[in-house]
Amino acid sequence: MQPTHWKRRLLLAMTAAVFVGGVGQAAQAREITLLNVSYDPTRELYVDFNKSFAEYWKKKTGDEVKINQSHGGSGRQARSVIDGLSADVVTLALAADIDAIANNAKLLPVNWEERLPDHSAPYTSTIVFLVRKGNPKHIKDWGDLVKPGIGVITPNPKTSGGARWNYLAAWAWARKQPGGSDATAREFVKALYKNVPVLDTGARGSTTTFVQRGIGDVALSWENEAWLAQKELGPDKVEIVIPSISILAEPSVAVVDKVVLRKGTRTVAEEYLKYLYTPEGQEIAARNYYRPRNPQIAAKHQELFPKLELVTIKDFGGWAKAQKEHFGDGGVFDQIYAQ
Amino acid sequence: MNIRRATALASLALLPFAGAAHAQDAPSQPGANDELRREIDEQKQRLAVLERKLEIQDEAAKAAAASAPRITASATRFQIGSQDGANFIRFRGTLFADNRAYAGDSAPETADTFLLRSVRPTFEGTFGGIYDFKLTPDFGSGRSSIVDAYVAARFKPGFVLTAGKFKPSVGLERLASEPDLRFMERGLPTLLVPNRDLGVQLSGDFAGGAFSYQVGYFNGVTDGQSSDNLATPDVESDTGGDYAARVFFQPFINSDNFNLRGLGFGIGSTWQDLDGLAANPYLPSYRSQGQLSVFSYRANTATGTTPNNATFSDGERLRLAPQLYYYRGSFGFLGEYTQVKQDVSRTVAAVTRSDTLTNSAWQGQFSWFITGEEEAFRGFTPGSTFRPGKQGTGAWELVARIQQLDVDDDAFVGGGNSFANPLTAISKETSYGVGVNWYPWNTVKLSLNYDLTRFEGGAATGDRADEQAIFSRFAINY
Repeated sequence: MQPTHWKRRLLLAMTAAVFVGGVGQAAQAREITLLNVSYDPTRELYVDFNKSFAEYWKKKTGDEVKINQSHGGSGRQARSVIDGLSADVVTLALAADIDAIANNAKLLPVNWEERLPDHSAPYTSTIVFLVRKGNPKHIKDWGDLVKPGIGVITPNPKTSGGARWNYLAAWAWARKQPGGSDATAREFVKALYKNVPVLDTGARGSTTTFVQRGIGDVALSWENEAWLAQKELGPDKVEIVIPSISILAEPSVAVVDKVVLRKGTRTVAEEYLKYLYTPEGQEIAARNYYRPRNPQIAAKHQELFPKLELVTIKDFGGWAKAQKEHFGDGGVFDQIYAQ
Repeated sequence: MNIRRATALASLALLPFAGAAHAQDAPSQPGANDELRREIDEQKQRLAVLERKLEIQDEAAKAAAASAPRITASATRFQIGSQDGANFIRFRGTLFADNRAYAGDSAPETADTFLLRSVRPTFEGTFGGIYDFKLTPDFGSGRSSIVDAYVAARFKPGFVLTAGKFKPSVGLERLASEPDLRFMERGLPTLLVPNRDLGVQLSGDFAGGAFSYQVGYFNGVTDGQSSDNLATPDVESDTGGDYAARVFFQPFINSDNFNLRGLGFGIGSTWQDLDGLAANPYLPSYRSQGQLSVFSYRANTATGTTPNNATFSDGERLRLAPQLYYYRGSFGFLGEYTQVKQDVSRTVAAVTRSDTLTNSAWQGQFSWFITGEEEAFRGFTPGSTFRPGKQGTGAWELVARIQQLDVDDDAFVGGGNSFANPLTAISKETSYGVGVNWYPWNTVKLSLNYDLTRFEGGAATGDRADEQAIFSRFAINY
């Protein structure tokens, strides 16, 4: 046999060995690990959800799937993914943080919002007030937050997605007041932050500041976080106050394409996020005090989610505009907080 | 931060006294009491805020530390990587400053020289805890070349895929890294195995390293050579590639048996079907232990229209390399035997002679750390370091070696038509070497070697003169 034939045969055999090894491994029931990089208050939601999805996936495919969770301020989490944290999926507080990953690190396409229903926001929430038992400072609406002597707890909008929703909700209220404008809203928000003694990096940290450290008179909180705090501490410790107006907070989810491509986890990652839209996923969201998109499940839990006037991010021109104008370097928040 | 925290706590501790002092001023006025209580509450809030801010600063510092790159700059390592160690890039290198001197008439005076034997900066790293790379150029000996340039995927301990330019796994001492060599120059068996070559290799360890294997396919190089020595460097220029395989056993590596834990043995092999040409013969030349050329096949001497009459490879080449090492405490032994069967031909006056020549070499080398450090095939740490005026001698090691290279006698049969010229090419060399190594620092090594080599043949009359080579080296390996 000619040497060149031997050469080709050996190369083919080695290639086949690699391929067969890979296919053989793929054919076995696999253990798959996903990393869900999420924002601060979703710990409990995803503990619950991950357990359900793992059971579902095992039943469907026979594969074991383990989902690791990472939580922190939404902006900071996005930064970590941009810096190399290998997230298979991101479930962040707002679309702007996923936009940042798409734009700055090119880890997923810029049209990621179009890949799942409801522009990739499978559940919503809003911003409410958490006050101490008996509401001793008589806080009922946004206007009460700027009164002298009121301590307001809210995280840092530069690192926390929830904080950005808080900020925008306050801005929206001020703008809707008689004679309201962007200028009056700016003065209102500036006065509000003068009453903020501590800026935590994330929503969970703010809850700790308010509830466990006893700091402040009112915490601006995700609705789900407020319910959770009340459930943990009991209504004899904290109360929830629903303001006259708030904002429709839409936490967004996406598969991180370049990571799942590298790890070979695209299918399971996509199914993981789609499972959020199933009745099971929606029920878990509602059980954890997130407003489900599914109308039947929302109706089933309506006592948890009072109706109130909600502005949306569109009222601010979308996240790209709002992010740049209010939270970008040198933006309105930087200006008012530095003063 | 601790001072600030202590101040805050001290202030908190003083609050009751402050309250008491106020209470003495106005003990019976309810309004004043309310005011006092309000003041105390405010102070408590301020302290709580201060405490919380410190907590947040601590958390931020910890988070920053967790995501910060891990930079190591130690006496033995310069590395930057991720906190989990899965991704890093490391800078290493070797610099060998040598002196070569020859006693007696064994070499011309011009052979005495200083030289930079090895100048090799190395960049290596790992991505994702699986994918490795290594890039090592060499600027030593007055030339520039790429010594190692490869990528490897460690899918499993038993399944590692490597591609690029690296050492085919055949000879034992060849596989030892430069810093781990006991003698300044590798022994005679290494002359018969590939140095660096381009190709692809599957390898792996099983049972915690008790059994390891390597199988590969390479462009193919002549004995002792690298692919950068080819006429067209680092490109295959013949019709056949080299198949290489090696198995190695360390059956007691994981046992508590101190006497046997350092035993390892195995065999390496290559095979190639190689049709050379007189104009491009693909045959090696061999050096003495003193690095002087002592053997080569006949080169072309024809002129004009007379056909090229050089000896050339003409068929199969099979290498076999059984090998063994044994390390016990401060003592070490490395032994190997290498045999090369090479089909050769030579055409003189339109008559072609062909034969299969068998060249072989063996060595046994002994090493002993007189300062008590443990001998090992890979790596060691000096028990102490040497710094003038301070305690510590560094590590001292004595080494000895006996070895032989034997060229097939049939290479010299045929008078003027022989494959090698007995008047210029030796048929056998036997070498006796001793040396001392001093490691004053983990990465610094000073060596002194003496090798006496006796030859058979290789001279117009009788044997080539004995060679007495005295080599010394000042080396940095980091």
